[in-house]
Amino acid sequence: MNFFSLAAKNLQRRKGRTMLTVLGVAIAISVLFSLLALNSGYEKELSKEVNSLGVHILAVPKGCPYEAASLIMHGGVIPKYLSDSDYRNVSTIPGVELATPMLMHQFMKKDEKTGVSTPHIIYGINMEEMRKLKPWWTAEGRFFSDNETGVMLVGRGLADKENLSLGQVLPVGPKKENFTIVGILDRTGDQDDQFHFFPLKEAQRVFNKQGMITTIAVKVRDVSRIAAVSQEMEKIPDIQVVTMTQIMGTIMNLAGSARSLLLTVIAIALIISAFGIINTLLMSVNERTREFGMMKAIGASGLDIGKMVLAETVFITLSGGILGTVAAVVGSSIIESFVKGMLPYSPGGSLISYSPELVGFALAFSVLLGLVCGIYPAVKSSRLSPMEAIRGGAE
Amino acid sequence: MSGIIEARKLCKVYRRGREEIQALKNVDFSVEAGEFVSIIGPSGSGKTALLNMFGCLDTPSSGSLRLNGTEIAGQKERDLVRLRRENIGFVFQQFYLMPTLTARENIELPLLFSKKNGSKKRIDEVLQMVGLADRGDHLPGQLSGGEMQRVAIGRALINDPKIVLADEPTGNLDSATSEMIFGLFSELNKRGLTLVVVTHNLDLARRAEKMYTLRDGRIVSCEERACLDGI
Repeated sequence: MNFFSLAAKNLQRRKGRTMLTVLGVAIAISVLFSLLALNSGYEKELSKEVNSLGVHILAVPKGCPYEAASLIMHGGVIPKYLSDSDYRNVSTIPGVELATPMLMHQFMKKDEKTGVSTPHIIYGINMEEMRKLKPWWTAEGRFFSDNETGVMLVGRGLADKENLSLGQVLPVGPKKENFTIVGILDRTGDQDDQFHFFPLKEAQRVFNKQGMITTIAVKVRDVSRIAAVSQEMEKIPDIQVVTMTQIMGTIMNLAGSARSLLLTVIAIALIISAFGIINTLLMSVNERTREFGMMKAIGASGLDIGKMVLAETVFITLSGGILGTVAAVVGSSIIESFVKGMLPYSPGGSLISYSPELVGFALAFSVLLGLVCGIYPAVKSSRLSPMEAIRGGAE
Repeated sequence: MSGIIEARKLCKVYRRGREEIQALKNVDFSVEAGEFVSIIGPSGSGKTALLNMFGCLDTPSSGSLRLNGTEIAGQKERDLVRLRRENIGFVFQQFYLMPTLTARENIELPLLFSKKNGSKKRIDEVLQMVGLADRGDHLPGQLSGGEMQRVAIGRALINDPKIVLADEPTGNLDSATSEMIFGLFSELNKRGLTLVVVTHNLDLARRAEKMYTLRDGRIVSCEERACLDGI
């Protein structure tokens, strides 16, 4: 027998009360664990998404804020353009390994059955350069070459959603020109799954944007020289430079306010839970004064009694911590869909990311919660005079 | 030779608000090692206060109390705990067994506090001694009153104390069971254990070697076995 097994057996005497307290802690720890898992998953997914661009720097038209840059990253369209000469200038900057121009265009497509219009994104790209930026790209069918006309590639997600297949012909642009799907990009797990890809020149021609580009994606030779290359690029009059770190920071800031709100809710849940635990323990201590008196009579010191009360508290909070963590893992999809609805921007992949460290932290936090909540009841019970305790309890 | 318990002019004053209650007034008391002593007296006469002081659960307001040669008055709580662990076993009227622990675990409980390793053999020995060899795995709720008190006696014996102090140990038991418990006390006393028993039951009190009578915080009589047998 040890203090922990004694504590566990003591708690069995008040099963209902113990279970309710454990449940309170479990809810608080579950929410805390989910938020931390979400925070870590959000950053991880965002970073994955940014890395999946394969670029280090984006050149966007001047006057375009970071928020717009992050929109571009996800296929958003802004009414400002760079020129082919800007692209040529960027390509010649020392330290630039690869620069590729892109034109983004958005059009609304009406679903014939439901009548609902949804935005579709067209990416005009130089395929040869793009495949150097994204060497992991593979496709069913084939990739197009930069000088082809009337061809397109579609993302797997889009193809599945719209029932698109190889060889299918789609009318595109104001003149409803026919474009054939020559390839379906294999699933990448990021935003590329949802786009149409056109040869850049074709996209410029179809949408009357000859010589115009939305952004220039730049890969540098040495990542430690990103700042130096950015400075050089900013010397070009039309260009505003946005690094991937800045884009991530912008999105994280957008998500920050939603996370602060969630953190406040959790803090309140934890405080309520802590008072619940303290209340349960104080009730239990008051009910057991005679028992503590007996224990002192048979050789327990005040410290022993305090340790026993603390062990009971830690048992409650640790059980709650384990239950809460398991519940958070099991119910992660529900939590994720709820939180996704609250965030201003969500990356495509799973937002919740668990790690052994996070599980360790949640459990360590529940033990700490037990220790903090148990201190006052433990001190109170340890200071009981044995005689007063026996006599008081007998009254 | 000085006794294992020696009280000289022992006084105890309790304060309840502004009221002072003199529980013990100049009590002289002596118990020799291996003696079986009973204390009787009406309610409020100071019996339990005296027993609690012998058990280091309380300290005297004035006077001297020596337990196994150590003065109790003025000792710190930490030293009182040590003295209690090394010398005293307690038995209460209400048994105070932990309802979720088996008889065996209840007996083992003091070892958790004294940090002694409780071998299974030692616990079996004690269970045997109190006549519960086959009831060790039962919870208190599955035991009779007499059996529960025997578990409590076993718990008092596990640390191998020099003195067992019992406060109304038969107060909640019928006469046959009380008789059995006193029989167990006599048995333990024959093995050399010092016993101090507070009781209301005069018949049982007379089975001790020495019977003290307390009234209003004072010892009013002390009768030896020879006299007790003659009554």
